[in-house]
Amino acid sequence: MRNNRNVALPGLMAMALVVAACGTEELDDPTADEDADQTEEPADQTEEPAGDPIRIGISLPLSGDFSEPGKGVQQGYETWAEMINQEGGLLGRPVELIFRDDASDPNKVVTDYESLITQDNVDLVFGPFSTRLVIPAAEVAESYDMLFVEPAGAAPEVFEQGFEYLFYAAPAVANDHYNYLAEWILALPEDQRPQTAAYAALDDPFAQGTAYGLKDALEAGGIETVVDEVYPPDTTGFTAIAAGIADSDADIVVGGTQFEDSVGLLRAFQDLGYQPDIAAFSTGPTLPEFEEALGAATEGVIAPVGWSIGADFGRNQEFVAAHQELHGEDPDEDAANGFTVGEVVAAAVEAVGCAEQGEECQRALADHIRANELETIVGPLSWDEAGRPQAAHMILQWQGGNIEIVLPDDPEVQTAEIQFPKAEW
Amino acid sequence: MVSSTLLVQGLALGVLTGGLYALLASGLTLYFGVMRVVMIAHPAFLFLAAYLTYFINRVTGLDPLLSIVVLVPVFFVLGVFVQRLLVGRLDPNNMAMMSVLLTFALALLIEGGLGVVATGSYRSINVDYATSSVRPFDLVALPVDKLIGFGIAAVTFVAIFAVLRWTRLGQALRATIQHPTAATLVGIETDRVRGYGFGIGLATAAIGGAVLSIIDPFFPAAHWAYIGKLMAIIVVGGLGSVPGAAIAALLLGSLEGVLQVTWGATIAGMMFYAFLFATLLVRPYGFFGGRLAERF
Repeated sequence: MRNNRNVALPGLMAMALVVAACGTEELDDPTADEDADQTEEPADQTEEPAGDPIRIGISLPLSGDFSEPGKGVQQGYETWAEMINQEGGLLGRPVELIFRDDASDPNKVVTDYESLITQDNVDLVFGPFSTRLVIPAAEVAESYDMLFVEPAGAAPEVFEQGFEYLFYAAPAVANDHYNYLAEWILALPEDQRPQTAAYAALDDPFAQGTAYGLKDALEAGGIETVVDEVYPPDTTGFTAIAAGIADSDADIVVGGTQFEDSVGLLRAFQDLGYQPDIAAFSTGPTLPEFEEALGAATEGVIAPVGWSIGADFGRNQEFVAAHQELHGEDPDEDAANGFTVGEVVAAAVEAVGCAEQGEECQRALADHIRANELETIVGPLSWDEAGRPQAAHMILQWQGGNIEIVLPDDPEVQTAEIQFPKAEW
Repeated sequence: MVSSTLLVQGLALGVLTGGLYALLASGLTLYFGVMRVVMIAHPAFLFLAAYLTYFINRVTGLDPLLSIVVLVPVFFVLGVFVQRLLVGRLDPNNMAMMSVLLTFALALLIEGGLGVVATGSYRSINVDYATSSVRPFDLVALPVDKLIGFGIAAVTFVAIFAVLRWTRLGQALRATIQHPTAATLVGIETDRVRGYGFGIGLATAAIGGAVLSIIDPFFPAAHWAYIGKLMAIIVVGGLGSVPGAAIAALLLGSLEGVLQVTWGATIAGMMFYAFLFATLLVRPYGFFGGRLAERF
């Protein structure tokens, strides 16, 4: 979602379409298709797992708009397969991942899953990246009765299609990202509790979802909304938008932001001398570039985050170590989401004892996931009927130039106490 | 309701932003005026300059605004080359259309090249003076970075205007704009003059890029957000008229600032296209320029 920032203006769209059409033609070239197929052999075949491999089909955006997060998810899947094969495989059989590159194209993702299921005859499928690709891919999986656990696609419409086999393998959908923060604010004693809040959100379902989830919770708790602004994705200057919020002098400011808007708003607040008690922005503060852009002004800024490298949930530390060994770098949140998909499916496969196509096995797997709480690296996960995860995101806060997890108040994840009111920026 | 201080604040910020728009639009106006080139890649060069500023700052620690001294001559030469090697070879009878395609390709090349070299990550330069503001009469806050941007834009603008008005190169440029054939007949080397015009245009992108780098974070595809606004400004200002572009930029910039604090950012963004549409409908030659910029 956060990569959805290439904003061409309408006048150029026609030309962009022409260019895109030329690009698609090239991609449909049959010889190019072979390159897109990558078969991952289990790294160590002399180890325990024996018998026919369990083959898992995955289409990911390895090129195009979403290639950066797509590669992150791929690495997470690879780390999961590596770990499981070293530990004796799944049901005693080795795991083999078959990747296809969908070039971030919703049409290609459909043919990818069609051919993975019908021609490669894979035993299981894992989901692709981003809402735009998850929905068409899930439709294919649904029509073949395939379990579809996916690492991305938190927007509400994913769960409104009536999918029976879809599960989102992350702690929470967009609207629940700030739940811990809302609970914490509303639990403050009356005389300390903030009275007013201002919201500015990017016109984007994910970014708005996060901000409005918190807005609904705070309004229900009696905190007055004094500003509620929406800005389009091609907004270039944020000072005037920030001026409206500064003028209201709200106690809490919430940005439903991606990255450049979080930086733009924060710098503008600095310019205007506005000092809130709580400042929360979606996505921006979770990226390392945030500090480069803002320096010491990051102090006290809050954001929701689905996974933390330092958390002790489940096998998180083993995952981080294995990922560093395999890929030579720290995993990011996308890789963690990919790994979580693997964990969820593996738990169901081990419990049900099957991994093959066919409604009987796949439905049993889906029923198992729907009925149980599963231990994962992002914490214990459970799902509602539509596949929405039922947990909340952790809340991070920048303190002394580091990212600290301040909520929930749980020794397994909390690394520091929340700073309130926040330091001046 | 919107308080009057907020309105004044929005207006003040809008004027400052309008100054930056004026600087950016002046380059576009020159390209169109001098050679009927619709330069889609202008904002892409702007962000190329911002990236170069970033890397110069990273390597040498030089203040981002000082890199203007280096970038302006580099971009001027680059502009002359782009005109002589690429734009100048297009079919003169079909210049506007073909230049859209050519410069669109240039924009994609720059965007792709920046993506390969600098990755898609956001970059920004953090300077101490960028996050403070001055408060005349304690009425409105004027951010220092935007004040600097406005000042540099104003100086550049006056310089361009002076060159066009009072130098021999300026006379040659204006002659080329008014009537290329007649200009050739009186001995002006119009090809060379067009190259210089293009060079001056790109030099303004270098200045704009350095200023922008301290104001907003940037990434390779950021230029698309600018081209629409700038096109609207130069059409409203009268294609090819430098002062017209400046007036239109200040007016639309101020209006944008006021709309952002009253009706919201979505309406403020739409306003540019509404003006573009209305201008084309009512007065296709723009409100402030003459017929295709015969005046300066």
